[in-house]
Amino acid sequence: MNKPGIAKVRIAKVRIAKVILNILIVIAALVCLAMLADMMGSFKYANREVEDPAETGMMVFEYDLEHRAYGEIVNGWYVDRMSSMEAPAGLEPTYLVAEYAHTAFMSRVYEETGDAEAMAANSARREDLRNSLGDYGYTADEVDDMIINAP
Amino acid sequence: MIACRSCGAQFDAALVRCPYCGTAYAPAEENEYMGQLEDIRTDLESADIEGYKAPEQHYKMGAPHSDDMRQYDTAYTDTRRRVIGSALRTCGLAKRAAILVVLIIAAIIMSVISSMNYADPDPDAEVRRDSERNAAAYAQEAEAYLQRGEYTEYMSYLYAHELQNCPPSEFDHLKSVTYVASEYYDCIKYMEVIILRSDDPDYFDGLDTDIGIFVRGVDEFYEVYEVQRESKQGRDYIACMDEMKTELEAAMRTYFDMDEDELREFLSTSEAQKGVILEEVLRHE
Repeated sequence: MNKPGIAKVRIAKVRIAKVILNILIVIAALVCLAMLADMMGSFKYANREVEDPAETGMMVFEYDLEHRAYGEIVNGWYVDRMSSMEAPAGLEPTYLVAEYAHTAFMSRVYEETGDAEAMAANSARREDLRNSLGDYGYTADEVDDMIINAP
Repeated sequence: MIACRSCGAQFDAALVRCPYCGTAYAPAEENEYMGQLEDIRTDLESADIEGYKAPEQHYKMGAPHSDDMRQYDTAYTDTRRRVIGSALRTCGLAKRAAILVVLIIAAIIMSVISSMNYADPDPDAEVRRDSERNAAAYAQEAEAYLQRGEYTEYMSYLYAHELQNCPPSEFDHLKSVTYVASEYYDCIKYMEVIILRSDDPDYFDGLDTDIGIFVRGVDEFYEVYEVQRESKQGRDYIACMDEMKTELEAAMRTYFDMDEDELREFLSTSEAQKGVILEEVLRHE
């Protein structure tokens, strides 16, 4: 007399388990779809075109020069030197102009402190930089002008 | 017609199982089983195999061995029930569980691939490893910058080699002077940014922000200078620290148009007051 009842209970349990598993499968399938979309996006991200830092850097540099924003150039130099003491390929002029501005700034500081040794070393470096500026030689005059007339 | 013991449906007594729910009907199964055994016996006899003895002495259809047959039948029925019961219990569940596991594994694999694709390589990792390998040589080079009085270069050198926090033990003796140099570096940097700012009225003027950062830097420089100058680690580099202070004060006097008294007064004011004073000087107000 009990056997049919037991079978029915067992069948009912199996049915409930099937429903639960079906729900879990649907959820897992949706998660899989989301992950698939995410993965496709990640491949796009991994293969994205990275803009040339030298090209971008020189564009910004030219813009700053156009507006005599040597403060920005010096700021960029300080930031770039946190990664490399040497100028990255293609960005050599930015390092030269910024370093010239730095030496010009320090020249008045050394004059004030009266440190002859530092002044001489700084002047020599400044002269070297001025001679290396090439097409950007005019920037040395502009920087000198700003330094002399400050504040 | 008989009634199924499981679902109660009516079906032909000759059928071995209920056509509606599949539950076995033992008497019909027994008949079928016995018939199959009889067929086997008949086949063996007709095959006339050498050495084969007809099982008449041991097994006779009918009364003498019916107990054995019932025992076999019971065992068969039990086994069958267990097999069907087990199949009922797992019917479709294992398949579903397998699909679920496969989906979860696929999701995990895709998630790992995504993470790997999105993770940008750490450009400083190799620099840090290199610095750890060559710490002694880099410490020597850094000290050379200090001896030449090139303090901004010293800090840039440490930053470029990820040594600004002086983790290798070779830099322990440089910690104090590095703290001071770091503040000096910030002050000089922002003074240069302020002094060399664009004079083009169409260019963004960030003077207020830069002045704010600078005056905070000046206060921090003096705080750090006072503490590190008295520290044990800083004893060997007191001259460097003093020189940094001298240069910073010279820079402020020169570029902010102050004499010694004005500079002392300026340094004694609050951050906000310093900002106002500098803005007045730099904007010629």
